[in-house]
Amino acid sequence: MTMILVVKSVDQHPSIREALGSVVTPGETVYFLRLPTVRCLGPLIQEISPMVEYDVEYTIDCLPEGYEVSDVVDFAVEVGADRICIGIFERTLTGKARIDDLTQSIVLHDHVSGDLVVGEDTIILENLSYEGEE
Amino acid sequence: MLRIEFQIRPAGISSKLFDLEEQIRSIEVDNALPATGERIFLFLTVQFDDDISEDVIAGQLPNTKVVDTTKAEVNQHTYYLSVVADISEVSVLALLTKNEAIPHRIVSQNAHLNVVATVRDWTHLKEVAGTIESEHGSLELVGTTQTETIGFPLGGNKIKRNMSGKLSDKQLEVLETAYQMGYFRVPQEVTAEEIANESDISRSTLSERLRRVEHNFCELLFGPQR
Repeated sequence: MTMILVVKSVDQHPSIREALGSVVTPGETVYFLRLPTVRCLGPLIQEISPMVEYDVEYTIDCLPEGYEVSDVVDFAVEVGADRICIGIFERTLTGKARIDDLTQSIVLHDHVSGDLVVGEDTIILENLSYEGEE
Repeated sequence: MLRIEFQIRPAGISSKLFDLEEQIRSIEVDNALPATGERIFLFLTVQFDDDISEDVIAGQLPNTKVVDTTKAEVNQHTYYLSVVADISEVSVLALLTKNEAIPHRIVSQNAHLNVVATVRDWTHLKEVAGTIESEHGSLELVGTTQTETIGFPLGGNKIKRNMSGKLSDKQLEVLETAYQMGYFRVPQEVTAEEIANESDISRSTLSERLRRVEHNFCELLFGPQR
C-alpha cells in the first residue's frame, strides 16, 4: 500500500497523525508531498517520527513552483498511490471541513476516483484508481 | 454519505429578485412542490432592506405567478413568498433532484448561491458537481462532512415559523440583536454588556431573556420539562 500525505503547513501534526494512525498498515510507503510554500519538514517529521511510531517507510517530495493539480495526480500515478490524505485546516460554521482550491481540484478531477472519507483532521481519498492516465 | 456545501452564481428567480432596486439581503428556498408539467410551487423567504409590495415583486417575475406574500412577524422586512414558477427558475434544485442528491439549503446572498446537499459518495459528488458546473459555469466547493443519514430536505421555513410563535417579541428582539452582533460566534464577537447597552436593558434582564429563549427552544425540541 502506498499513501501520499499532502503537506500544506509545517503545523499539520494532527492531520498527519490521524492519517498515519488510522489508515496506515505496517510497512506501508508514505510520500510526504509538500507544497513549495512549505519549507523544511525536518522538525515536523522528527516530532511525528513515522518510522518508529507508525512503522512506515517515507520519502519527502515537493511540488514545483506554480504547480497544478495535474502535478499531484501525475505524482500519485507515478508512485501508484492507494490513498491521498489532505489536511483539514478549518471548519465552516456548520462543522463541514472547509475545502480549498487544491482539494477541490483533486476531489473533482476526472481521472481520480475511489472513496472519500472525511475524518477529524484529514480528508482521505482511498481505494484510488486512475482512469485515462498512463 | 457526504454532506456538501458549494457556491455558484445566482441564477433564475434569485438573480431576478437581486435585480430589484430594493436591496435584498437573502433569498432562501424553503420548499418546492410539483405543480403541472414543468411548473412548481416555490416557497421562499426573502429578506429585503426595506418594506416592499407584492406588485413590485410580481413585476420583477414576469413568468412567475405570485400566489401569496406574507410579511414575517419577526425579522423586519422579511417576506414569505409562495409562487408558481418554471422549474428552470431554480435549476440548481432541479439538477440536484434529477441527479438524486438531497437538497437541504439553497440560499442566495452576497452575490452567491449557497447550496447544502447530500450525495451518496465521492463518485456521486463528482457527477452532481459536474452537471451543475456545466449548467452554471462555475462551482466552488466550500465544505464537506461525513453523514450517516440523509437529513431533512429543505423546510427551514417550518422551523422559523414554529419558533417565531413560541417566543415573545422582546425575547425575539434580544435574540436577534445578540445573534447579529456575534454573541453566539466562537470566539464571541461581543460581550453581554455591549448587547445589554445596545438593547437598552440591564445585564440581568438580558441574561434572563436569553435563558427564557433557550428554555423555550428546549421545550420545543424535547417537550415539557419533567
